[in-house]
Amino acid sequence: MVAALALATLVPLVEMLGRPLGGFHIPGSALFVQQLTLWLAFLGGVAAARQGKHLTLSTAELFAEGLARRLARLLAFSVAAAVVAVLAYASAMLVATNRLEGKVLPGGIPEWVSELVMPLALAAIALRFAWGAGRGWRGRAAALGAIGAAFGLGLLATHAGALVWPCALLIVAAALLGAPLFVAMGGLALLLFFADGTPVAAVSAEIYRLIASPTLPAIPLLTAAGYVLAESGASSRLVRFFNALFGWMPGGIAVMVAAVCALFTTFTGGSGVTIIALGGLVYPMLRKDGYPEGFSLGLVTAAGSLGLLFPPSLPVVLYSVVASSSQKLSVPAESLYLAGLLPGLLLVVLVALYGIRIGKKIHAQGRQRFSWREVGRAGWAAKWELLLPVFVIVLFASGVASMVETAAAACAYAVVVECLITRDISIRRQLPGVVLRAAALMGAVLIMLSVAMGLTGYLVEAQIPERLLAWVTLHIHSPIVFLLALNGLLLVLGSVLEIYSAIIILAPLIAPIGLAFGIDPVHLGVIFLANLELGFLFPPVGLNLFLSSSRFGIPLPRLYRHVVPFLLILALGVLLITYIPAMSLGVLRLLGK
Amino acid sequence: GGWMAAPPASAAAEQVVVKMATLVPEGSSWHLILQQTAEKWKTISGGRVIVRLYPGGVAGDDADVVRKMRLGTLNAALLTAIGVGDIDSAVFALGVPMMYSSYDEVDHVLDKMRPTLEAKLEAKGFIALNWVDGGWTHFFAQKPVAVPDDLKALKLYISAGDSRTEEVYKGAGFHPVPLPATEISTALQTGLVSALQVPPQVAVITQYYNHAKYMTDVNWLLLLGATVIDKKTWEKIPADIRPALLEAARDAGRRLRAEVRQGGDSAVEAMKKRGLTVVPVDAHGKELWRRTAESIYPRIRGPIVPADAFDEALRYRDEFRKRGVSPSRP
Ligand code: NA
Ligand code: NA
Repeated sequence: MVAALALATLVPLVEMLGRPLGGFHIPGSALFVQQLTLWLAFLGGVAAARQGKHLTLSTAELFAEGLARRLARLLAFSVAAAVVAVLAYASAMLVATNRLEGKVLPGGIPEWVSELVMPLALAAIALRFAWGAGRGWRGRAAALGAIGAAFGLGLLATHAGALVWPCALLIVAAALLGAPLFVAMGGLALLLFFADGTPVAAVSAEIYRLIASPTLPAIPLLTAAGYVLAESGASSRLVRFFNALFGWMPGGIAVMVAAVCALFTTFTGGSGVTIIALGGLVYPMLRKDGYPEGFSLGLVTAAGSLGLLFPPSLPVVLYSVVASSSQKLSVPAESLYLAGLLPGLLLVVLVALYGIRIGKKIHAQGRQRFSWREVGRAGWAAKWELLLPVFVIVLFASGVASMVETAAAACAYAVVVECLITRDISIRRQLPGVVLRAAALMGAVLIMLSVAMGLTGYLVEAQIPERLLAWVTLHIHSPIVFLLALNGLLLVLGSVLEIYSAIIILAPLIAPIGLAFGIDPVHLGVIFLANLELGFLFPPVGLNLFLSSSRFGIPLPRLYRHVVPFLLILALGVLLITYIPAMSLGVLRLLGK
Repeated sequence: GGWMAAPPASAAAEQVVVKMATLVPEGSSWHLILQQTAEKWKTISGGRVIVRLYPGGVAGDDADVVRKMRLGTLNAALLTAIGVGDIDSAVFALGVPMMYSSYDEVDHVLDKMRPTLEAKLEAKGFIALNWVDGGWTHFFAQKPVAVPDDLKALKLYISAGDSRTEEVYKGAGFHPVPLPATEISTALQTGLVSALQVPPQVAVITQYYNHAKYMTDVNWLLLLGATVIDKKTWEKIPADIRPALLEAARDAGRRLRAEVRQGGDSAVEAMKKRGLTVVPVDAHGKELWRRTAESIYPRIRGPIVPADAFDEALRYRDEFRKRGVSPSRP
């Protein structure tokens, strides 16, 4: 795992550095990096299954411990084991077909041999799910029985159609009860193709289109960079710096929290890591400064996803990969980052202004004096972390590096800074553990992405996007109404789905419709992501609410009240971003893109 | 049938659904011809053969589509030579850069080689329904490209897949960037790619020329294509209606070809009005391009085009050239 990631980092770096040095290159490097990404995805998927890190719906959190939860788990994991076992079979079919193509990787290894990682890893995940279905042998035997039943269903030639609806309901129920989302999507895709009389290998065939995406390898690289930074002392250095910068002004601590959380989220990708990593650090500071409990909790919860739009945030790259996979659309991650600069800043500023207002009202205590010396010292201590976003923007905006090369550079930068310069993370003792935890997230995201491609593949075959487009254009005529409907939809779905799932599921459906309404695809991307920031706060099941509730031990209903002001402020920001396209596209126009 | 295998051949009376994918853009005149042909198939078969079209690369690029046909999730496709070559690489003999100097030359070679090519495809489980072409490819670039050295300074798009094609271009001193066709416009915008070779009409429909405003006035190679159908699906269609369907497909092929060959110049004119610059290449320049192309023939013959197919194509071309100067040509 560590070796694969190291190679995936080094190969693009060598390409990037070799280009100006007389065009030195590694033969077939793009294919090589693709295969490495495939390995990272599937080995990461095994790691995620072992660590229980596959992405799930937030509804499963509503179950209390006890018999109900155990039964829910038995059902969810039995279905998961069965679906993943069939996926393993489908990808074995795919590998067998690819063997016919006879493609050879640089170095002489047949491509299909490297691709065997797919069926093998999926089989391991299926067994892992079966193992996790219960604590005793009875539960595990039931899960194995479910696998057998799924294969039995596959042999049924007739009456298959009648079984589709009950199976679909079972899969949806399993997802609501805590089965990973990728299982639900994969299960539905398998079922729909099955009902259509199409070989289920159709699901795994779509994985190929995904790994051919030139931007995809950026995802594991940025995930790793984010984990290295999140587990280093970067958070306290950044808190110290922004405290020195803003701590003197009324409401300064609140401004500091908004700024720190935004910057930190650019590294961690906004999947709630910010609340976990920074919440414990900044919440006491807010309270000590005299802010009321409600405001402090609301701020920490809301700030947990600010900064989603800034480089090198992962959701932006993911949106680009997913939305660009159609021939009609191109949404370069680079353009999205540039277009998101002002809108992202707007959201941070709005939250900070509210913080200042509250700060003035309560005459926050213990305001410190401004000191250039402290700013200088704290800034110097945090210089490497502060420079990372700048470094990333310069790399891709200057055209020196592609997105993948930029991600590789960011990953190498994070490792060098935190392991060699600040020495926060020991290469031998801690780094492998950090990489393994990062691997679980990258596996979870990439496996879900590949399975989602299978479901999208079915939707395309059934011509659903065209029908959806026809339906939407029949009922909605003005782009403004469309955008309003989109704002509402993303708010609600964004709260049920976690950010990566939301992008993977919704972007392929929404991006073409936006195009039909004449909305710039890059602007639509910015709206989409800004809207999701809002969705995390939306009661009853927004992800940030759960994280905050468990981090600070506050019951959910109380938290709902505290986030309302922030919901309203951010909603205002999202509306401005939506209806003033110049805010997003102006920067691109200025740069002539 | 169950999901373990493709459904068994159904009774003759049953409807056969042919899922057909192509990179041809939705709404283009080519797409229209495909839709009309699909209608004709329905009429001829009395509603027993239904063609479902997936245009515009929604099912993936050629490599994806061929893979899906092998898996049985798609049944037919209008492929470019890249996809046909994925099935059997002999077809690449017709797409060797600068090997042919006119449509007549390629047509002659294709006519001669067609029986062998079709037999090879059939042996791999595919039936060729027609042969078409997309016109001559030209280099479209973000900087003027007049001679091969100009192109060497740019990042040239090539179709994703086999590393062998990449090595051929690298060997000639170019900087190829392999990508799926669906990613070209993104890559042009981000600068991942700064040049590509496509026929003018494709550049118009896809609007690639918006991001690559210089077209080199050299016919690099003819973008051949073919409509293929999976043999199992073809044989599910009652044998007595197959000849009529085949004839309808051949007719579509002729119309597609005529469409392309007549529309090439107007495509260039349309792009010029919207900011395209055609970079002229004089006789000396053309000679440089030809020499560059010929310098890579040894790397193409064998690794990319099977040696026998390469030699055969060259023989037919020379045969045509000799006959072409004599007045006996029909
Ligand atoms: Na992309
Ligand atoms: Na695209």
